[in-house]
Amino acid sequence: MIWRMGNRYAAGGGRSQGLAIDYKERDKMPGRIDLRRANVMVRLFSVSICLLLLALANPAYTQSKNRAPGFEALPRGSTIVIMPTDIELFEISAGGVLEPKAEWTATAAKHFRDVLDTKRKLLDLNSAFLSEKDADDVAEINTLHAAVARAISMHHFGASSFYLPTKNEKLDWSLGESVQVIKQKTGANYAFFSWIRDSYASAGRVGSMIVLALLGVGVSGGVQVGYASLVDLNTGQVLWFNQLTRASGDLRSAEKAQETLESLLKDFPAVK
Amino acid sequence: MRRLIIVAYALALAGCVAMAKVEKGELAVGERLSVTIEGPWNHLQAPGLGPAQTWTMEGLPVDQLLLYSGIKDGQLIQASGGGQKQKDLTFRASMQPDEIVTMFEAMLTRDGSAFTLSKLEPLPFGGLRGFRFEYTLTRKVDNVVLAGIGWGTVSKGELFAMLYMAPRLTFFARHVPQVEKIAMSAKVRE
Amino acid sequence: MKRREFVVGGCACCAALFAAGLHAQQEWQAPARFTRPNIGSDEGGLWAIMDREEKRLRSSPFLIRDRALHDYVQDIACRLAGDHCEDVRVYLVRTPLFNANMAPNGMMQVWTGLMLRMENEAQLAAVLGHEIGHYLERHTLERLRDVKSASAFAQFIGLFGVIGLVGQLAVLAGMFSYSRDQERAADGIGATLMRKAGYDPAEASKVWGNLLAEIKARTDHDNELASVMFATHPGVEERVETLATLARESPGGVTKAGIWQEKIRPFRRDWLIQEIKRGQREESIALLTRMIPSSPGQEDLLAARGEVYRLRAKDNDLDLAIADFQAAAALGNEPPEVHRGLAMIYRQRGQSVEARASFQRYLEIAPGAPDAPMIKNYVEELGQ
Repeated sequence: MIWRMGNRYAAGGGRSQGLAIDYKERDKMPGRIDLRRANVMVRLFSVSICLLLLALANPAYTQSKNRAPGFEALPRGSTIVIMPTDIELFEISAGGVLEPKAEWTATAAKHFRDVLDTKRKLLDLNSAFLSEKDADDVAEINTLHAAVARAISMHHFGASSFYLPTKNEKLDWSLGESVQVIKQKTGANYAFFSWIRDSYASAGRVGSMIVLALLGVGVSGGVQVGYASLVDLNTGQVLWFNQLTRASGDLRSAEKAQETLESLLKDFPAVK
Repeated sequence: MRRLIIVAYALALAGCVAMAKVEKGELAVGERLSVTIEGPWNHLQAPGLGPAQTWTMEGLPVDQLLLYSGIKDGQLIQASGGGQKQKDLTFRASMQPDEIVTMFEAMLTRDGSAFTLSKLEPLPFGGLRGFRFEYTLTRKVDNVVLAGIGWGTVSKGELFAMLYMAPRLTFFARHVPQVEKIAMSAKVRE
Repeated sequence: MKRREFVVGGCACCAALFAAGLHAQQEWQAPARFTRPNIGSDEGGLWAIMDREEKRLRSSPFLIRDRALHDYVQDIACRLAGDHCEDVRVYLVRTPLFNANMAPNGMMQVWTGLMLRMENEAQLAAVLGHEIGHYLERHTLERLRDVKSASAFAQFIGLFGVIGLVGQLAVLAGMFSYSRDQERAADGIGATLMRKAGYDPAEASKVWGNLLAEIKARTDHDNELASVMFATHPGVEERVETLATLARESPGGVTKAGIWQEKIRPFRRDWLIQEIKRGQREESIALLTRMIPSSPGQEDLLAARGEVYRLRAKDNDLDLAIADFQAAAALGNEPPEVHRGLAMIYRQRGQSVEARASFQRYLEIAPGAPDAPMIKNYVEELGQ
């Protein structure tokens, strides 16, 4: 459960029992079999199976929490523009300092882009690009999308008491035709948005308060939060949305970034 | 607005707060105000977060309809931390429409958001002499530019008002017809 | 939160000694231009974060995009920065607080609250030169390394970034103030840069002195909460003295008051309205009272102060408001709000005839005002 509110870098006070695993430390423990390589192989395999199934799947229609009503698949050969990911990685030091790590962020952003691009190719979708200048021009739509994403997080993926009864538990939000300016600039039919905040505890790790993370006040103690959405650039309909809140995942390495992306892309539409 | 969202959500997690459907038809808001509902509105049920009722169609981060019914002389329109702000957010029965709008402006700009009034005119509300206003609010926390509209009247020293705001891109135009219907249906019992 | 102790009362002795020390430092040389640090270093990381904040700022609705005003301030910053000119990027932000800062990546923010308070170009140059001093000496990075807590770090970024609750800024700013040593260094460098660019360094002392006077007017006496600038730049009283001493050593230079007033004139009414909306009555009155005798366009300043008196409405404020409004009207070219303000006071006092006349005058001057329909209604009501 996430949304971007207030100071994006704000971290709440407070420490509690840790939920995160410090991978560096864990892997240094004696007697540990290096399962990483094995894991990677298994993972690649299962990913391939997954993607294969996705590509071949012709499922009976089921109402998915992640998909707009009636939306099943993307037409083959569609063009998708991947909006710049809003991503930030933090390290929590022994003293509890939550420090944005630009190097990790840059690396993670690159991994994420690579993994997204691979996924796009596997799904046989064309890509379109948004130049820096164009990104500035569509800034208001970006901020609008962020607000809608927060609403979806809060009222569709959050506490059930916060669901909007009028939405009938359907993913039914649309940004309207104002998104068409993105289509005009890029020629794409769909836009993919994503937002990730991720923190990693170091040796003297500190735990996190999930509630604080949920409130967007901060992510302290190894929590990974993020969302991704797919928007139709004709109608503005949010066709697919997923979010991630967990105490695991690691975007600092390429193969682990793959795993994060797969989690984030849960129930991503097939291509037909 | 940001504080409302944070506090409401924290309470929701604690099970104290929920979103409920607003039933269609005629609805009493407080003791003296009634409105007729047609559209799909959701109501934030949050004991202790007052005095306005907060409704939404698309979710609190997107659009909000605030309903004030029977605000009395000396009452705050929003909980404040005391000090200068307390005075700015206190309704006085002697207030003229422009002063009431200034009071709402103080409430909406507490977090540094920027408010611009685009129109203020006399218009009956609730069947009584009242006023209507339009504004733009640039939300500080996330830079979303909201379009806003409001209505109000003072009857027997009590304030009755409605404010609605939504992003000026897409959402305001989409929902404002519904909001206007509600405003036109409002009745204040004397 | 650490409370900062402020020097109460000047310390002329220390100031003179220090100024002498700084004088010896007149051989201070600016460092070579900075190159982008390695992203893995803490400086590099901070740089990257600032780059992102800058990107956000570029698309913020609070950014002032007027080319003429921007280029004018950019040019002042450029001349002060000398060889570092190309690294400085100025952003004018519409916020009614006194603040300017420069991030380690060269992004410089100047808030409209500060520009409202500058009496001339030299005073702006004093502030910008001071901030450039912090930049050249990498003081922000030093501050960052001192930061101890998670929430503190985040809020620290908030000081340089776009996002942040304005109301809390001053509170947070106090946690990240520069040290006294850093302040003295920045003052010294700022004075040097000013002199090199041909400005009169005597203006620097006035800037801080004016700020101090304004803050002292607050009735709650909570100076720390009063001002972001005040909170991040400690030892203001002492520095006022030091800067004055520094200036006396090498007098001369331009102030460019005329050019300054001309450049900001198109914006000042909006900034005054924003200042009034801050709701800090005592500070606004102190500010406007200082500005009225010495600035052109007094009708705008009188109108603003009249409005503040009207809103504060204590004791004989309403009479003071009427006096200010009438003085503004007498000067001519007064903002229409003068007549609306008068009308509201008359109406409050039951003087229907005068109220009606003033409302009508308002409508004459500003027939297209947003509240014109409502004011027309008031006129009709008062006629009955």
